[in-house]
Amino acid sequence: MSFFGFDTNLPRDQGAQSGSRGMFDSHDPFAGLSRDGDDAGEVLDFEQTYDGLGHRLEESGDTFNDDTFGGDEPVTRAQVGRDFDFAGETAKIRDTLLEEQALHHARQPLPQARAPQPARTGYEAYKQPEYIPKLEADASIWGKPAQRKPAEQPRQDNAPKMMSLEEVEAAMRAQSRPTPPAQPPQDVQAQTLGLKNMLGLGSTPTPPAQPHQQPPPPQFEQRPPQILQRPPQAPHEQPQPAPDYNLRTPHILQRQHSPAQGRPQSQDFHGQPPQPMQFQQPPPGMPMGGPPPNAPRGPMHMAQAQAQAHAHSRGPSYNGPPITQAQQMMSMTAEDRETYLAEEAKRAKRNHKIFLLSKNNGLMTPQDKNFITRIQLQQLLTATGGVDNEPGSEEQLAEDFYYQVYAQIRGPPRSGPGQPLNQFAQTYLFQTGSRYGYGRSRHHPRGGDNHVQRMEQQVARAVEAAKARPKNKQLVMEGSLGKIAFSNSKTPRPLLNIKRPDSAAQMRHPPKPADRKTTLRDIETLYSTLMRLEDHERKLPPPPNEESDPEVIEGHMRWRSEMQELNEQLWKALKVMEPIQPNPTVPHPFIQLLSHSKGKKAIPRVFRHLDDNQRLTMLTLIVIHLDILDVIRDAYPPQDNSPIPARVKEEVELFSQAIIPPLLSYINEAPLNIIIGLVGLVLDRVHVQIIVRTKIGISLLTMLTSRAELVRQQQQGTEEWQQWTDLYSKLFDTIEPVLPYIFPTDTNISASEDVHVWQFLATMGVGATPDQQQRLVLGAKDRVMETVTISKTLPEEMSQKRLGDVNLFMRAIGLDVELLG
Amino acid sequence: MLFFSFFKTLVNHEVTVELKNDISIRGTLKSVDQYLNIKLDDIQVVEELKYPHLSSVKNVFIRGSVVRYVHLPANAVDTPLLEDATRREASQTAAKAKQQG
Repeated sequence: MSFFGFDTNLPRDQGAQSGSRGMFDSHDPFAGLSRDGDDAGEVLDFEQTYDGLGHRLEESGDTFNDDTFGGDEPVTRAQVGRDFDFAGETAKIRDTLLEEQALHHARQPLPQARAPQPARTGYEAYKQPEYIPKLEADASIWGKPAQRKPAEQPRQDNAPKMMSLEEVEAAMRAQSRPTPPAQPPQDVQAQTLGLKNMLGLGSTPTPPAQPHQQPPPPQFEQRPPQILQRPPQAPHEQPQPAPDYNLRTPHILQRQHSPAQGRPQSQDFHGQPPQPMQFQQPPPGMPMGGPPPNAPRGPMHMAQAQAQAHAHSRGPSYNGPPITQAQQMMSMTAEDRETYLAEEAKRAKRNHKIFLLSKNNGLMTPQDKNFITRIQLQQLLTATGGVDNEPGSEEQLAEDFYYQVYAQIRGPPRSGPGQPLNQFAQTYLFQTGSRYGYGRSRHHPRGGDNHVQRMEQQVARAVEAAKARPKNKQLVMEGSLGKIAFSNSKTPRPLLNIKRPDSAAQMRHPPKPADRKTTLRDIETLYSTLMRLEDHERKLPPPPNEESDPEVIEGHMRWRSEMQELNEQLWKALKVMEPIQPNPTVPHPFIQLLSHSKGKKAIPRVFRHLDDNQRLTMLTLIVIHLDILDVIRDAYPPQDNSPIPARVKEEVELFSQAIIPPLLSYINEAPLNIIIGLVGLVLDRVHVQIIVRTKIGISLLTMLTSRAELVRQQQQGTEEWQQWTDLYSKLFDTIEPVLPYIFPTDTNISASEDVHVWQFLATMGVGATPDQQQRLVLGAKDRVMETVTISKTLPEEMSQKRLGDVNLFMRAIGLDVELLG
Repeated sequence: MLFFSFFKTLVNHEVTVELKNDISIRGTLKSVDQYLNIKLDDIQVVEELKYPHLSSVKNVFIRGSVVRYVHLPANAVDTPLLEDATRREASQTAAKAKQQG
């Protein structure tokens, strides 16, 4: 039973071995049985079984016995022997048979239950190319391609099988040595192992070296092959007696594949044509290794390929079930079979999917995954410097300003404006926690918790470590010339290290005359002051009442004083209070601020923080500089009626969106005397005839006059009212000559955006005397008539709009465009 | 952190990412991280005929360092806020630089 062909059975093993010896272990099973009797002392002797009835028989009738049975001597018991004691012999092993039968049945469902396991095809070995050469070596020794089958080890996921694969490999290695080709015991040994492994019975993996030492394998392992072998043994008449194990093995395999064989050839749902198995059964007398291995190889490869394809296409679940299935299938009706096949196909498809998905199963152990997760967590923490900010905190706002504020403005995004680190960490913790909790709950109910706990501890430690880490960002290695700079996402490694001049040094520059750069810098200063103010505003403590702690009151007071201070800074940054030079070479600094679009954008934000006085001051400053505002100065209608440049238009648009509304809101609450003062300033210091030709200028005038008209209804007859009437007349007289020219001329009338002009005319018309109204109509008559005429040619919608605009003015003076129609 | 912060607000908006190898990929921004790695969903290569190998790709993970441009949806960008955020970032950087220097 050894690979070297000598009997290594020790005397002490003989007993244990006997009675249940495997088919492969015994050249002659009957010999083994007979030996059993001798060795065990359980001799089924004729003496013991003979009940003595024979003695009572008449001996007279045996006269011709000799003639009948031959033999000159009287037949003795010794002569007869026990050659025909079949019943006795069978009875002797009956128990074993029953046992094996039970065992066989007990094991039968096992492969079925395991069937869905992907690794069960038994063909996996072929996926690794390096197995092929070994198999070839095999074949050459065994002289039959079929012998490769045992090597189709499930190379799979469970440990015992892995071991058995090694076992077989070791056996193969032993075989591929230059030994005499015909060594049945070796083959037998290898095959026994292979079969055991293949059938999944090799429960106790033997170390690879063991086959050489050859202790007889335990009984338990050997039995199943014996029994499984039995059924196929019967149908296949083996001309050669027991010792030819090489031939027998294929039958076992064959039996496993019997479904394929038994099924009709056509349209087999397995896509597996009935495999011609003849190559598994070479002529019995074929000398081992006699025919070149190449001869059968062709079909073998085909078969392999088929088997492989079969294994791949069908998924893993083939080996086990078919034994019973095939039998069932044969007895099925056509319909049943069809449904069964359909189900089977579905199942196979699913299994295949699972198989594909699970290809990488077990690549990482849970511990590996854990380890990776912890590394990632740590990475997260260190990457953000370990700053564990609360959402909405200062640091967080500083780091993540845009996102935080954007989320507040536009509504929180779906994930909520949570701090990213926390989010990540929580996500990870939650996911892994649940994952492990689920995976382990079945086996170790507390294992998952443990992992989460460990993870949490790890996070906590990492946070601590990150906080405790020294702040220096550079490392100077001893003996090295350079420095190693650390970096993370918050403090990237500086590629350039520029020595910045001290801000004090900057201050020493003499204040330059206001140029563009200075203005831009002023605007930035304004913005940073503004943002500090806004930040401070956010930190508004709850308003104190009488019962509040002194501390709270004190905090509130401090907040207010700081607010006051910031407000002053802001006011200063706004440059409104810069002295107005009588004959300026450059515009006033505040007006320069306004000449940049981002300066304009700052105004509505700044305006909120200004008090009434400051607002008035600012408005006054704007009013007296109206004709040098860029939105007025650059927006004069050009002489050649060419359109205003787009850039200027944008600025005008921005001005009317950003600055007009706050000014309007202020003016709408201003008392009449302020309006009077402002209009007086306009008339005194500004070329009114010019500014009325611009959109902004006319809008501002409209604002002022319309407010005055509203106030008039309450204050008519007062002294202030008289002042206003005078001022209005003065304004009217100034404007009257340019009335025909105040309409925009850059486009034709039908597309003209002149609603602001009509509004202005309407405002003027409301407060005008009848005489002034007539003069107004005279001035605007041409435009009115043109617009009405053109609107008749326009589509209904546009026409209505145009007429509506005109009507703003017409109704103000008690007329209507309808009258003109 | 400004760009990280900014791109976070563009999650679930459609952007076009132009890579340094000239491939432009349009897709829904699914996530972005501190390295400005980008995950896109439902992607479409702008010049699909030129890069047919990407026509069957549904979603991608783009390493931040290979991105040349990201084309933004204008209406999803709050320009004044972004300006402010930029100012903050600049002042912080300046403060840090002063601290270190």
